[in-house]
Amino acid sequence: MRLLVVEDDPDVGDDLVRALGDAGFLVDLAVTGDDAWFRGDTENYAAVILDLGLPRLDGLSVLRRWRSAGRNFPVLILTARSEWTEKVEGIDAGADDYLAKPFAMGELVARMRALLRRAAGHGSPLIRIGRLTLDTSRMSAHVDTRAIRLSPLEYRFLEFLAHQRGGIAAVHDIAEHLYGTADAGDANAIEALVTRLRRKTGQGVVETRRGFGYVLSEDG
Amino acid sequence: MPLRSLRLRLLASAGAAIFLALGVAGLGLDLLFERHIERREALSMEDKAHELLAALRFDAGGKPLVDPPPSDNRFLQPASGLYWQVSAADGQAHSPSLWDQSLAFVPGAPDDHWRARRVPGPFAQGLLVIERMVEPDRSGRAVLVQMATDDSALSDTQREFGREMIGSLALLWLVLTAAAYGQVVLGLQPLGRIRVELDRMRRNPGARLSTDHPAEIDPLANAINSLADARAGDVDRARRRAADLAHGLKTPLAALAAQSRRAREAGADAAADGLDRAIAAAGAALEAELARSRSAVAREAQASSHANVLAAAEAVAAVIERTEAGERIVFEIDVPDNMELPFAASDLAEILGALMENAARFARRRVSVSGAVASGEVCVTVADDGPGIADTRAATALVRGGRLDEAGPGHGFGLAIVSDLVGATDGTLTLGTGPLGGLEVRLAWPVAAAS
Repeated sequence: MRLLVVEDDPDVGDDLVRALGDAGFLVDLAVTGDDAWFRGDTENYAAVILDLGLPRLDGLSVLRRWRSAGRNFPVLILTARSEWTEKVEGIDAGADDYLAKPFAMGELVARMRALLRRAAGHGSPLIRIGRLTLDTSRMSAHVDTRAIRLSPLEYRFLEFLAHQRGGIAAVHDIAEHLYGTADAGDANAIEALVTRLRRKTGQGVVETRRGFGYVLSEDG
Repeated sequence: MPLRSLRLRLLASAGAAIFLALGVAGLGLDLLFERHIERREALSMEDKAHELLAALRFDAGGKPLVDPPPSDNRFLQPASGLYWQVSAADGQAHSPSLWDQSLAFVPGAPDDHWRARRVPGPFAQGLLVIERMVEPDRSGRAVLVQMATDDSALSDTQREFGREMIGSLALLWLVLTAAAYGQVVLGLQPLGRIRVELDRMRRNPGARLSTDHPAEIDPLANAINSLADARAGDVDRARRRAADLAHGLKTPLAALAAQSRRAREAGADAAADGLDRAIAAAGAALEAELARSRSAVAREAQASSHANVLAAAEAVAAVIERTEAGERIVFEIDVPDNMELPFAASDLAEILGALMENAARFARRRVSVSGAVASGEVCVTVADDGPGIADTRAATALVRGGRLDEAGPGHGFGLAIVSDLVGATDGTLTLGTGPLGGLEVRLAWPVAAAS
């Protein structure tokens, strides 16, 4: 898998390249914002590690340009500033995860693997059920024509329901899918998830079948 | 010695000016009153003089003669205080009341009207005299007719009037001075307001003087505000430089960590261990300094800044949902959409970010963020369904540098930093066990501060 590392500090950049190389990735290094934008725009990377403090073109601008050009590879941002407003800005610009400097290399590699795992493996890119459209390549959703911002958990929930093809997804199965294990408390957590999701999608997308589970409405 | 108090100075000058004006007015009134009573007395004497004129003629020797004499008995009684006298070239006649005295003769009496004047008279009396030249017959001989009255009654009346006037003027002086005092107090009130506002500025450097002062005070308030802005700008720039320096050191620290990894790979474990310890210590010192600077900034936050709680919670949740710790967590956010807190949105993001990230780290499935206004407080509660902490350990978590381990060593979080920020924004922080069974962090700000 090819990764792009964008980092202007030579020591940190070299270290990232070596550590990710050791972890089995093919790594390209870009040291300026311009270079990063060009490479990201013209080559296919599985994921990008992007430092925000770059010379010439700052990291957030690079990220925004990629996203507006439809480049949707997962991006992990590295930032020297640890303020939450900056994290929020990064996520708003289209980042998928962030890590504050100084960081432990082990954690970075683990986060990278988690990002790639999340982005991996989708057959057909678009799934339409009723008013809901899921874009599996971007992990995004539309209700009618309105774009909905989903958390990864919310996305996986909707995707799981979509794969039931009109059938009811039982709470136990949903919990197994989302958490890997299931226990008695999960029903409440899933109910809370659905409540939060309905605030974004409005009524009539996810329906509750009391005592059984949840189903996606097929009504257009 | 010049008066130090502006109020006393204004009051003293107003009192003196009013006193002077009233004094001049008093003298004028006294003079007017004197002329008024003189004229009235002269008019009443003119009536008596007309009676006398009717009886005035010359005797054979050319001496003036009044026959019959005026009827008033006081003309008969010596030194009675009422006298008449007629004088011609060839002789003189006067009332018996003059006895062996006579009225002083001043030349130049008019012949077409009565002249009144005050003169010292006989019997040690002051006299009001009216006089004019008349020609009793067609012979062309002129007679000076004088009629006089003791002016002591007039003087008494005048004195009495003077006393009453002085009393009235004194009262007027008091009333006017009181009015001037009121004016001074009213006039200086804006200065008092400035003092209160300056005091508020001292306690909260982000506050500014209001701009609805009277036109005379406004330029002063604006000048003070500009000065405060300039100073705040300097402090802010200095602080920003310090923060930039701290942030700027983080990349070199990451580079040092890279060197440490290389050293370890080359077999120099001891050197790498030393480097790692130094990096950790430097990193912790930087974080502490940044947190301190953030609390200081929050303490000076602009009075006008406000943070929407729902927006901040949603934004922070959107970040955490994408991280490994948060990707399996459902955030239940139950906050009224118009709920606001009176400080910068970035500070609220910092507070909620640290608390929600920690909650997500220890939660099993759910983290709840709720907001409510109750009993004079705006409350924001962050709770999770994790293992929670024992009450006895809650206290130690809040000590600066203290770390709270829910799950075990190495997973602490700097609740003290959040506590500093909450304190700097006049809020309180309490730890407890929430409805989901895990840790509940309850933040509360007084409604007055929030509205």
